[in-house]
Amino acid sequence: MVTTQQKLKIYLERIKKQNKKINAFLEIRNENELIREAKDIDKKIKEGKGGKLAGKIIGIKANINVKGLNASCASKVLKNYISPYDATVIKKIKQEDGLIIGMCNMDEFACGSSGETSAFGPTQNPSAPGFVTGGSSSGSAAAVSANFCDMSLGSDTGCSIRVPSSFCGVVGVKPTYSSVSRYGLCDLSMSLDQIGPLAKNILNASLLLSVIYGKDENDSISQNSKKIDLKNLEKVPKNLVIGVLDFESKDKRIDDLISEKIKKSVEKYGWKIKKIKINHLDLAVETYYPLVYVEFFSGTRRFDGRRYGKKIEDFCGPEVLRRILGGSEITKAEYGGRYYYKSLMAKEFFSKELAKAFEKVDCIVSPVCPKLPHKIGKSISIEDMYAYDALTIPYNLYGNCALSLPVGKIEGIPVGMQIACDKFEDEKLLQIARSFEKLS
Amino acid sequence: MSDFLFHEVSEKEREQIKKQAKQIMDDFSSKLSKIGKVKEPLIERDLCMRDESEGTQCDFSREIMFENAPNTLYPKGHEKGTSKNKDFIIAEKKKW
Repeated sequence: MVTTQQKLKIYLERIKKQNKKINAFLEIRNENELIREAKDIDKKIKEGKGGKLAGKIIGIKANINVKGLNASCASKVLKNYISPYDATVIKKIKQEDGLIIGMCNMDEFACGSSGETSAFGPTQNPSAPGFVTGGSSSGSAAAVSANFCDMSLGSDTGCSIRVPSSFCGVVGVKPTYSSVSRYGLCDLSMSLDQIGPLAKNILNASLLLSVIYGKDENDSISQNSKKIDLKNLEKVPKNLVIGVLDFESKDKRIDDLISEKIKKSVEKYGWKIKKIKINHLDLAVETYYPLVYVEFFSGTRRFDGRRYGKKIEDFCGPEVLRRILGGSEITKAEYGGRYYYKSLMAKEFFSKELAKAFEKVDCIVSPVCPKLPHKIGKSISIEDMYAYDALTIPYNLYGNCALSLPVGKIEGIPVGMQIACDKFEDEKLLQIARSFEKLS
Repeated sequence: MSDFLFHEVSEKEREQIKKQAKQIMDDFSSKLSKIGKVKEPLIERDLCMRDESEGTQCDFSREIMFENAPNTLYPKGHEKGTSKNKDFIIAEKKKW
């Protein structure tokens, strides 16, 4: 059996050789400190006292506070910011003997769907060289894909775990809103943000999620929910009705890959399928972005130069600035409920649509992304960039759980299938995904 | 069309971004009119109340926190972190 120390050594060597090119990690912890911790974990494992995550090496998105490390949010604004505390998810990981290896690259302040907006350079896609990784948890997905760590944490506001997972060919889970504490997460949009795991497979992603899941006094919206029992994941659910989203991707080959996977599940497990139509699905992007602009503008007022040294508007890149200036403009012009209120009402509309849909089916399946990724640095319109999130956003608006599962490749580029279940059905979601995973 | 790679933003680009952002929001808002009237959700605040508790002890590292605020001022005659006001960040005046 490979020890934590041996595995750590392999990962560190690989990171030393390849991270300069891939740019998945922004910071790696002190090597001696890591080796000492790995040694302690191996000792615990030997004595049978290791926690649930003993032996697992984990990367953390740079917008989650890890005491003593640089939670830069991939921005020059927080380039010198050292976290003075651990986020709740980090405390839980440490309690279960997970070994945190470093901080992962991301879109600046999580503003981006491609992984290109980081102030420290874009992340390269290890599974599809030259193409974007997807964002904003670009480094978290790339680090797992490049075998720099076993698993990682990301955050998902509109697509930020699922899209990079899809483009990098890994598993990424957006848990139910409020099921995982966000205490210690630098927020993008507080009514939508959620922390979740990324890993090579469903079992590892589930393991990490089971550790971070649950209520936390420090996050007022977090709720008590049924614990995830990992033993249940190998059971294939019976009499399942799969909802197939009524939607046509820009690239038909993506839909074909998903259909093939669904067909296999029907043949092998006897599951039934039902087409699901979500009214006004084409307006999900239009609903989401005004909410994000306003909440992000509000949240960034703390970066005024007093507490963190640098004023955000003076040091950020164009996408962050677009959201701040846009948020500021529409906040000023909000009278009559023209922007934010209107989006809140549209969010309510989507919530009702999805609640109705989940009464008819056990899960809804679709592509994660309706198109393949573009090449790094290629000029695309803002609308095209925002369209990457078209199929992931609805589930952030409703607040239910959803994940990305790799189902194949098109021209060498990984494609992810999105599976979504109702709120707090995270265990069922993982069980369904595991059943799909076993088909390959 | 624009590339999304990070770069420093010039004053000219800043003005363009501002106009562009407002334009996008106006466009989105107008499209959302298609959805029509939606009944406001009922918010039952009693169910969201937190239980009274003693609270938890803060285990922040004060030293790191003050290091993160390089522009803070300290009362005259006091070294960084040694003043009576060491629990406060006193921001620089007229600099923002």
